[in-house]
Parts: sequence; C-alpha cells; structure tokens
Amino acid sequence: MDRRVIFPNKLLPYLLVAPQLAVTLIFFFWPAGQAVHMSLLSQDAFGQSVTFVGLDNFKEVLSDPDYIKTLWRTLIFSGAVAVCALAPALLFAVMAERVVRGATFYRTVLVLPYAIAPAIAGVLWLFMFSPSIGILAYGLKKLGVDWNPRLDGGDAMLLVIMAAAWKQISYNFLFFLAGLQSIPKALLEAASIDGAGEWHKFRTIVFPLLSPTTFFLLVVNIVYAFFDTFGIIDAVTSGGPAKATEVLVYKVYYDGVHALNLGSSSAQSVILMAIVILLTAIQFKYVERKVHY
Amino acid sequence: MKLIRRAIASAIVGAALLSGNVFAQAKPVEIQMWHALTGLGGETLAKYGDEFNKMQSDYKVVVSFKGQYPEQRAAAVAAFRAGNPPHIMQMFDAGSGDMMGASKAIVPVSEVFKRAGMQFNPGDFIAPARGYYGLKDGSLLSMPFNVSTSVLFYNKDAFKKAGLDANKPPATWPELIAAAKKIRTSDASACSFTTTWLAWIQLEQLGARHNVGLGTQSNGRGGLNAELNFSNPLYVKQVQTLMDMQSDKTFSYRGRSNDASAAFQSGECAMITQSSGAYGGYIRDAKFDWGVAPLPYWPDAKGGPYATTVGGASLWVFNAPNRSVSEFKGVAKFLDYLKSTPVMTDWAKTTGFLPATNAAFKYLNDEGYYAQNPRTAVAIGTLANGKQGEHTGGYRFGRWTEIRDFYHEEVEKALQGKQSAKEAIENSIKRGNVAVRAFEKTASQ
Repeated sequence: MDRRVIFPNKLLPYLLVAPQLAVTLIFFFWPAGQAVHMSLLSQDAFGQSVTFVGLDNFKEVLSDPDYIKTLWRTLIFSGAVAVCALAPALLFAVMAERVVRGATFYRTVLVLPYAIAPAIAGVLWLFMFSPSIGILAYGLKKLGVDWNPRLDGGDAMLLVIMAAAWKQISYNFLFFLAGLQSIPKALLEAASIDGAGEWHKFRTIVFPLLSPTTFFLLVVNIVYAFFDTFGIIDAVTSGGPAKATEVLVYKVYYDGVHALNLGSSSAQSVILMAIVILLTAIQFKYVERKVHY
Repeated sequence: MKLIRRAIASAIVGAALLSGNVFAQAKPVEIQMWHALTGLGGETLAKYGDEFNKMQSDYKVVVSFKGQYPEQRAAAVAAFRAGNPPHIMQMFDAGSGDMMGASKAIVPVSEVFKRAGMQFNPGDFIAPARGYYGLKDGSLLSMPFNVSTSVLFYNKDAFKKAGLDANKPPATWPELIAAAKKIRTSDASACSFTTTWLAWIQLEQLGARHNVGLGTQSNGRGGLNAELNFSNPLYVKQVQTLMDMQSDKTFSYRGRSNDASAAFQSGECAMITQSSGAYGGYIRDAKFDWGVAPLPYWPDAKGGPYATTVGGASLWVFNAPNRSVSEFKGVAKFLDYLKSTPVMTDWAKTTGFLPATNAAFKYLNDEGYYAQNPRTAVAIGTLANGKQGEHTGGYRFGRWTEIRDFYHEEVEKALQGKQSAKEAIENSIKRGNVAVRAFEKTASQ
C-alpha cells in the first residue's frame, strides 16, 4: 500500500519550499554566481572599464608565489588549530565524564567560549598578549621571553592559533562527550575485570571507538580554520606582520577590500569555494556513513 | 494709529507668508556624507552637519561613519556601482591616486562649485594642501579637510630622568639616536623610540623632508605611467637605522598604523614619530609632561631640512547618473560651510588637526592661539613654513594603500632579520611597480 501523503494541490509543495529556496538563491547562489562572473573579468574598482579576460585571473593567482605561500600557511594554520582544538577537548571530555558531582556545572562552563563572537575572542587574546598592556605579555617579559607578535611572525601565528583553537574547544568537547557516553559500559567493565589500567582502556577501547567522532571533528575543525577564523585574524593581527598570519580567506578580503583588486579576489574566492565543496563532499562520503549518534 | 494698523497688518501678512512658506516648501534635498573619523573627530563632524541643517532648510546633510578608510572606500565603490554613491566622501591621503584614476566617478571640487554657481578660490587653502589635492591648472580635485603632518612627540619627564635637556628635543636623526641611547642606558623608560604609520613617516615624510622623490613623472603627479624609484640611499639608510636601533634595543616596532601610539601615551616609549593629529588624544590622556618637535632630518643630506608633507584626508564629491543640479548645489553649500573660518578654527582647536585654510590659520595666529599653544604650532611650522622643494608637495600613485603595505611587509621582514635594508627597499619598489602598472592598465580608458 502506498503510504505517501499526496497533496491534491500541485502548487502547494512549491509554495511551501519557496521561502527557503528564495533565501538560498538570493543569499547564496546569486553572490556565488557574481563571484564566478567577476573572476573572469578585469576591471578597475569603479567598474569604468571592464574587459573579459577568461581564466587569466586564475592563472595569475595560481602562478603567484605569494598565493602558494599563503596556501601552505593556511594548511599549517588549519592543521595546528585542529590539533590544538581537538586534543584539549578530548582531555576535558574524558575528565568531565568522570566527574560525578556538579557535572552539569563543569560542562556548562566548558561550553561557554563557544558563545563568544570570533572578533571578541580575538580581542580578548590580543589584550592578554599585547606587548604594551597585556597581562600575559608582562608575565612573559618577566620570564625573559622576547614576546612581540607585532613584529615576530612566529609569535603572531601562535597567538592566532591559540585564539582560534580556544574558541573551538567547546564545540569539540560537546561531541566528544556525546561520543564517550555512547561507548558501551560493558566493554569498559570487562576490561577493568581483566586488569586494564585507565590509560590502557583509553588507548585500546575508548579512542578507537571514538574515531568516527574524531574524524568528523577533524573535518569540521579544518573547515572552521579555513573559513571561520577571519574575525579572529582581522582583530588580532590583520594578517601581519609581513603576511605571517595571512590565510586564504584573509587574502580574499585584503585583495578585494584593501587593494580593490576585484578580479584576483573573485578568482581566489572561487578557488576557496571549490575547496569547501571538496571538503563537504569528503565529509558526506566518508563521515556521514560511519558516525552513529 | 494708521501706522500701527499698517504695522499689524504687515506683521500678519508676513507671518502668513512665512508659515505659508513653511507649508509650501518641498522636502529638503538630502546630502549624504560618509567619513572614517572615529572618536572626537567623528563627533565634531556630525555636529557641523547638525548645525548646517539648522541654519537652512533647503538641504539636509546626513553625516555617517562607514568604518575605516578601506572599508568605507569599498562600501562607496559598491554604492557607486549600484548607481547611488554618497554625495561627499572623506578619503585619506594615500587613497588620492585611486580616486583620481576614477575620473568618471568623481567631480572635481572646483567644478562642483562652478556647477552650483558659487565662488570657489583654491587659493584659500594652505599651499601644501592645495598642492597635494590640486591639479596643475590650480583647480582642486578634492577639498582638504582634516590636515595633518608628521612630527616627533617626546616625553619630557623621561628626558629629565635620562639627564637630557627637556627643552631641547633632538632635531636630527643622529641626535635622536644619541638621546635614545641615553634613555636606554639610564633606564628612563622601558622603550626609547617607536614610530606609528611606518610607510607614511619613514618613507613618504622622510622623502619630503629631504626633497627626495618616490617616483618618476614628478612623483606620479604627471601621469599614470609613472614608475616608483625610491631606491635613493636615504630610504635604505632609514630602514638600516631602524634595524640598528632595534638591535641596540633603542627602537621598538609596535605595528603598522596607529598601533604604537598607546606605547607613548602609557609612558612606555619616550619618543614617537607620529601624526600631528594625535595631539588632541595626548592632551586628554597622557599623564606626563610632553613636547612636540619637528620631524628629525639627516644633517648630511643636501640642502638641509625641507618641509614635511600633508597627511590626513580630503573630501571627494561623487558623480552619479541621477545627480541633480540642486544636489550639487547642496554639496557646494555644505562644503562652503565646512571651510568657513569659524568651522575651520573650531575644528583645529577641538581635534588638533591643522587649519586647512589660510584665513583660519591667520585667525588662530592673530588670536594668539599658537603663542599660547606652542606645541600645535610645530606641525604648521614644518608643513607650511618649511623650505619647499620639488618633492615636498606630495605624490600621487594608484593603489598606494597597497604599496604602503608592501613597504610595511618588506620592512617588517628586514626587522625580523630575514633580509637587508636594501632588499626591503628593492622588493617594495618591485612589488609596488607591479601594482602601479596594473592600476595604469585598468584606470586608463
């Protein structure tokens, strides 16, 4: 028996999805289409002389050694952010799992940073580590560390990685906690009876069973580091010093808004679009199949 | 009796006419003005908009803050492309070359006044600003508004503590280096010297101060085909000086734009090369005795110290297909109000910017303002009364904001020890010329 609900009115389903479709078309497809269109043009900022140049902008971008450097920098940055956001989150989740009294309180506190806007998170870290006024920079100076993220590219990179990772820890924490709770207790108890220590249990049972969650979070964190860290970088370093913290998404903004180089900026955003499509495809293909909530 | 009756009658008629006038009047023409001034400057500008609106009823000026200069410019570009740019936009010095290239997007200020049928004399503005924002025929492209130049601020308390004469600030770079060393060895302050606006001061202002150019075609003012050529040993020496001072720990790099300002204001750094526009902020917030000195120069350079050049921003008028004559008239009226002596003198006194017009300067001078506030007189002294030369009148290159950042990046690399001073300058020129050529390609029709 066919149990599908049949709408007598052919128009109604379309009407019902229309608002959603309209939002997607206006706020996603239209600007994306504009970006693709502009990536094929060469023009001045005011649009007084516009010429079609085909794929010249892409050729220019991909043969620009600065762009390749930025690509590598972005990979390093994303990898570091993912690791720095995943490892503590896992530790916190394992610890929070064991807390009996006040568990809700701990969990709530650990989730709080996720509610903070990226730019605010950036400014918080900027103040703490500002060479002139920052309390932690003051401490570092007392310890004899020559800390100056305004000049030292390594210091600056460290600062944005910490700020970006810090904000993401809460999100990872939630998923790890859920993952931990879904591990069958019987397995752990059996292991205990066999005399396995805490570390041994974690290494041989908990971590392997968590791997789908970990893999999912790895992809999500890399996507986050690629695209959502703009606010932090803009607030903390503006991509400096000497481009040391300029990642791909920041370069799109700089070349478009500061340098008014619209062709190159559009080409770069089309490349970024391709990357995000690729990452999403990977996530759908490998992750969605394996993660069980 | 008759007279009184007549008076009453005419009063009634007059009142009727007046009120009738109010009712019959069309909606005032709206004039949009965008600016990028934060804090005191922005508030003061908004106040002038309100006052202008109260003075007359034909036009209504809407003054709005649209973010920092690059964001504001991007917003204006988008608005222009959509056919509805602001009427007036405030644009900083470095953006002038880009605005000039947009010949269809802007209407020169001289032309705006002509269309409005109003008097406009570019000669009213102080000569350095006139040269910077003007054309060869003497007409003005944009109206100079917040005018500043670069000076040296120094902490008198720290100078005394280091055993230096607090009333004799360093006039030359060697003197500044010696003073910085003394401050360092006596531990009078944690940091001896820093600078804001790296490219604007250590490249552009330095060039003007020694009458050395930045590019061909009289610093880009002669045409879009100009090339950057600031490979003069002076520029290399300046970067080398900063590098040497950094390794002596007498110079501390604190970021590109105005980031270093906090280090002087908190008393951490004893000397800072800075925009004269910082004056108002230091008056309010610095809790120590400080002085202002002209930007230091190199005594071995030919011809001695020249004038510094103009910084700050000017007001540009946008064109659009649907702009009416009455809108241009309103723009001209408001600009005329802004450049009037009462507004200009109030602006200079409130914000610490320099008066943009000769009349306002004369008024302040006659009033004894500069005699009472000698610290504000320093900037106008080096800008307007300094020795003028071929290269003191400023420069004009497209994409200069980006080129400034090339310089920032290359000098930062040199300060990180990754390249020499000479390489920093050479790379800036090389990268700058690519941008200048790309601008020429898209800007010339």
